[in-house]
Amino acid sequence: MAPTSVPTAPDTTGTPGTAAPPPPFDPECGAALAAVGELVSPSMLPEQIPAVRAATATFGVEMPDFLETDFDVQTRSAPGPAGAPEISLLIALPRAATTTAPVIYWIHSGGMVMGDNRTGLAEVLGYARDLHAAVVSVEYRLAPEHPHPAPVEDCYEGLRWTVEHAGELGVSPDRVLVAGVSAGGGLAAAVALLARDRGGPALAGQMLLCPMLDDRNDTVSSQQMAGLGVWDRTSNDTGWRALLGDARGGPDVSPYAAPARASDLSGLPPAFVDVGSAETFRDEDVAYATAIWQAGGVAELHVWPGGFHGYPLLAPHAQVSRATVAARRDWLRRLLAP
Amino acid sequence: MDVLALRLNALDPEAAAALRVVTHFDALLESRAGLQSIVSAAAALAGCPARLADPPRRLVVRVLADGAAAGRDDEPDPAWLSAPVTTDATLWLERTDVPGPMEAMVLERAAAAARAVLGRTRARHPTTDPASIELVLDATASRDDRLTAASRLGLPAAVHAVALADGTARLMPAGAPDPVGARAGLGPAVAPVDLPGSYAAARLALRLTAEGTADDPGPRVVHADCLGALALLVRAADTVAEPIPDVGALDRAAVSAPWALATLEAFAGASSVRDASRALGVHHSTVQDRLGHAEAHLGWSIRDQAGRLRLQLALVLRRSLRRAE
Repeated sequence: MAPTSVPTAPDTTGTPGTAAPPPPFDPECGAALAAVGELVSPSMLPEQIPAVRAATATFGVEMPDFLETDFDVQTRSAPGPAGAPEISLLIALPRAATTTAPVIYWIHSGGMVMGDNRTGLAEVLGYARDLHAAVVSVEYRLAPEHPHPAPVEDCYEGLRWTVEHAGELGVSPDRVLVAGVSAGGGLAAAVALLARDRGGPALAGQMLLCPMLDDRNDTVSSQQMAGLGVWDRTSNDTGWRALLGDARGGPDVSPYAAPARASDLSGLPPAFVDVGSAETFRDEDVAYATAIWQAGGVAELHVWPGGFHGYPLLAPHAQVSRATVAARRDWLRRLLAP
Repeated sequence: MDVLALRLNALDPEAAAALRVVTHFDALLESRAGLQSIVSAAAALAGCPARLADPPRRLVVRVLADGAAAGRDDEPDPAWLSAPVTTDATLWLERTDVPGPMEAMVLERAAAAARAVLGRTRARHPTTDPASIELVLDATASRDDRLTAASRLGLPAAVHAVALADGTARLMPAGAPDPVGARAGLGPAVAPVDLPGSYAAARLALRLTAEGTADDPGPRVVHADCLGALALLVRAADTVAEPIPDVGALDRAAVSAPWALATLEAFAGASSVRDASRALGVHHSTVQDRLGHAEAHLGWSIRDQAGRLRLQLALVLRRSLRRAE
């Protein structure tokens, strides 16, 4: 009788100083990164948060020219968590929708410490336009002023409000997915865990784009990419410390703060996970998709060779960026097909 | 991505843009990116479609500003911004407005990068891709396959097939100097799609080459283009089963004296006995004596025009038959 084998996730924990050289950047992405050179520091220290916030306030927030023509845009306020202020929601409802529209609930990026609900919205509005979907983008409170659980609870409350007001908005409460990039991807994964554990709302999917999932910050990829690319482990440490303080990396971190800490990934909606092979988050993102499969769940994982963190934004013309965006759009199309 | 714009606004925008352009193309070259990536970067940085065309090589790379490949072979607008890449290839930015310093720099750096890539790939292909050479010469391969191989090799509009004595083949751009050192038959310069025919002619020409020594006198390089009716004669002789009497006579003359073949070859190719003696480096009376000796073995006079033509044909046939063995 053969012994029963128990599947285990690949060991992605690296020993400091022993990581092999990093994978090379994709040539086109690498050229775009080299071109911004000194302007982008891979490493952000806590004391640099205010300066980086100021410098990036206008980055990635440009709205596409089709926003007003193809969408009815509203700003609504949802009640915040108990004792917390209201949550602002930017809502774009497709004018061309002939049936009740699905909803992409968008959680912006910014390492838990910066960005607003317009950050990165242009990309998701493009998908929504193609698919006649609505977009709801949540303005969650940021660390370090508002540490865990403020950001994730804001995201969750905004989602609850959206589903409760689906009839009023003219969207489908049965076809709502959470989506986010980087810190927003981590928050989207956490919201999916909360929705599962609190009995709702039911989600159609979770779209986790190069998500920030693991406060331990000690994978091989986090070490390989130290000092390189965009958002290295120093920046990552800054982000997690802002969110969790001294609890970061310790034994008591909640999976709703760092979804990589979850011991049970069963019962989750279908996941889309993508990440570049040359970024800090590679190993934690691959491990998360793997853990979903091992729990019997549905996940689609794309690891794009030579991509640094956020390459589709910095080098949108690169072939690998175009393939990345096409895969995201294709998954949404399949997920939301009537 | 959250820190991409860090300090961007603080910098001098124009100097920063120029630096970004230079660094961008340098980095592409350093990572050995291909033409597609270079044209794509030009389009992205200039915010308009970019196109590289090399008409003799049937090469067109066109990319939109968002990185989408969008090949077109319509005529470029003369008003577009353009820069030469090689003598044949040109790079365009498909916009007609007056270029700012940014566009001019994108064009210049992209053209330089494309030039480096073309130099790199074209220097490599003819010598290191025997499979493509074989395919482009293969009459049984499909036209499409041969054209694909030709574009992989970066062939010019007119090219010679070259057959070498060691059984291998080479390709040579029209107008290039004859191969030095190797014994070679050169096919006519043709479009790449017609190379199988050129190669057949080259192999026939190779049969008429010789080592150029006393034992094996004759030209080391023969152009198929210069053979005229001799090619017909060789093909006709290939269909004859019996030995050709004039070739047999030459063989007998050749073994009669070590100088016989070289003397006959020199005389057949010279305008007079004096010319032949100069070419052979011996006194002309010696050449006269040798010719008399050879005529005795040949069985015909070679001093009149008809006899000399017969000798020339016999020499050609002998070489062609020897090569066919």
